[in-house]
Amino acid sequence: MIELFDVTKRFGSEVAVDGISLRVETGELCALVGTSGCGKSTTLSMINRLIEHDGGEIHLDGQPVRSFDEVALRRRIGYVIQSTGLFPHWTVARNIGLVPRLLKWPKGRVRERVEELMQLLGLPVAEFADKYPRQLSGGQAQRVGVARALAADPDILLMDEPFGALDPITRETLQHELRELQARLHKTIVFVTHDMDEALALADRLVVMHQGRIVQQGKPIALLHDPVNPFVESLLGGMDRGLKEAALIQVGERMLPLGPRLLASERIAYGASLSQALSVMLWHQVDRLTVVDEEDIPIGELSLRRLLGAKAS
Amino acid sequence: MGEGRVSPNWVVLSLMLACLAAWLILDAVSVAPNRIVPGSAYAALEIMSGWPALLLTAPMLAVVVLAWRPDQQRLKLALATTVLLLALLPLWLSAATAVLVEPSMPQARVGIGPSLWLLLFLLLLVLIELRTRLALSRSMGWCLLLPMIVSWWLSLALWLEPLALQREYQARSAQFTSALTMHLVLVGAAVAASLVLAALLALAMRRHAGIRRAGFGVLNFLQTIPSLALFGLLLAPLAWLGTHVDWLAAIGVSGIGWAPAFLALLGYSLLPMVRNIHVALEEVDPAVIESARGMGMSRRQVFLQVRLPLALPIVIEGIRITTVQAIGLTAVAALIGAGGLGTFIFQGLGQAAMDMVLLGALPIIVMALFADALFGSLSERLRQGGTA
Repeated sequence: MIELFDVTKRFGSEVAVDGISLRVETGELCALVGTSGCGKSTTLSMINRLIEHDGGEIHLDGQPVRSFDEVALRRRIGYVIQSTGLFPHWTVARNIGLVPRLLKWPKGRVRERVEELMQLLGLPVAEFADKYPRQLSGGQAQRVGVARALAADPDILLMDEPFGALDPITRETLQHELRELQARLHKTIVFVTHDMDEALALADRLVVMHQGRIVQQGKPIALLHDPVNPFVESLLGGMDRGLKEAALIQVGERMLPLGPRLLASERIAYGASLSQALSVMLWHQVDRLTVVDEEDIPIGELSLRRLLGAKAS
Repeated sequence: MGEGRVSPNWVVLSLMLACLAAWLILDAVSVAPNRIVPGSAYAALEIMSGWPALLLTAPMLAVVVLAWRPDQQRLKLALATTVLLLALLPLWLSAATAVLVEPSMPQARVGIGPSLWLLLFLLLLVLIELRTRLALSRSMGWCLLLPMIVSWWLSLALWLEPLALQREYQARSAQFTSALTMHLVLVGAAVAASLVLAALLALAMRRHAGIRRAGFGVLNFLQTIPSLALFGLLLAPLAWLGTHVDWLAAIGVSGIGWAPAFLALLGYSLLPMVRNIHVALEEVDPAVIESARGMGMSRRQVFLQVRLPLALPIVIEGIRITTVQAIGLTAVAALIGAGGLGTFIFQGLGQAAMDMVLLGALPIIVMALFADALFGSLSERLRQGGTA
């Protein structure tokens, strides 16, 4: 659990972070969103004390971060940054094993852990272990970055625009992988991004920052429904909010069991989002879809009325 | 390139044509009956027409033809031919010496003429071009020079006794060895001392902006003083120290000799060294440093495991520049009695004995090239891990 109480940071006369309070529960993914210069990265860096806060308190599991030795503190917090920050003179395996080696794990255990993580992140050991960072694509490098952050199995992960420099397709793949990883590992993650779609797709809790303050925080759906002011509303996509919300809801949540009627000809996967379902309806000009499971076996149906009506309820 | 018609390699082509022209037109060898009398010069074809002349002309023509439509295979052939040509030069010179110098002339001296110098220079350029074209490694490049070195060594040992350079060397071989040693010691000491001092200075500069500004100011100023003037400036204070401080006098400090030379070399070496170390340490990607700190490396670990290794190739570049510069400057230090190979250059100039000048200058050139290649390849090798 991470708690910030009235935390403030000044750079000279400029106030970068202005008295923010925030609570990230254990196992929660909290996304800090805002335009550049809103203080979200500074907030992140104050948690592992790369930047020291001037006022207020930051607690990890009830203990002030100042009470830890800063080096020891950072070793128990995973850290991923946009440009990966991989050491160019070290191989992939050595990069990933960094923190376990700093913690003086025995060699064999470090090697096992590195191989385990490489498999977890879809990096075949034989192919990648001895490569250097410059030989990797952007997506591969960022996978290594995530593996390195997870190496010593930290409870907390700080991610500063980790997918910001990737192309859209790779970014989406990695977002998807992060979601699956999180479903398995249940880390406490603070995730900084300026990409609202990314934040909506990943976050359990969304924190919108503006000019060093938290403007609004809550579940993504709650924010979509009730933005407190026009700034949050426009950040959330203005008129596109309907589609953004639909993107967060799975078809499975809205479908009805198969009825007596004939099966609709167009199909949609159980795990697809409502916005994808709507797109399929628009494309084929139909108002009814057959919902199928992973094996393409019909398990239900989704009507346009149901798709829309569900939202009103 | 690769598919269909390949365009000619104009570099090799024009270099080789220049070789041919030099070979056919310019004087290759001069012969003098003794050290004092000026010699008479001969072009290659005047000495030996027929097959010995053809021996070198034919390979040159071959390279020209090969460079006209160069594919991988032809470039390799051209490279082999060039290596052969370089190895043939000393053998041809030996033959020419045998023809020109009669047994009745025990004092006779054979000088290397402009044609051979030019040929040597141009052929080495061809070699470099071909090595680059074929993407051969540095160490392979050195191997390519081996036949030439062996051939020169063999010729000098067996047949080239009348070569003027050789005669100059034989007349003062002991002096040569001590001069060479002195040269190496001065360069080595100056570079080593400046490396240590520069590292300390650069570290201090990273801590304090004030030291950085002042430091670079002083070093830049030092660098602008002409070397002879700096030797002159050091003369008075060092002479004073030498006469007034006993232990300094005991280790040989005086206004002239090794002390001012060493200090001046040190002064000149500091700027490139400090600048490179400083830039190298500063220019490490800040994201890498941030992530190193974020991962929980201590300051010491960040410096020793990340910053320093990433800076090392540029630091070694600094050592390379400094060493090459010091090798050249040490030659000037001979003027204030510091010894070294410069002694031969200035004595030779005084006596108008060009071969003696060469005896000093050639090893300096070889040393500089060698240091350049050594540190260059070291820096390249360290880079390979991947400052991408």
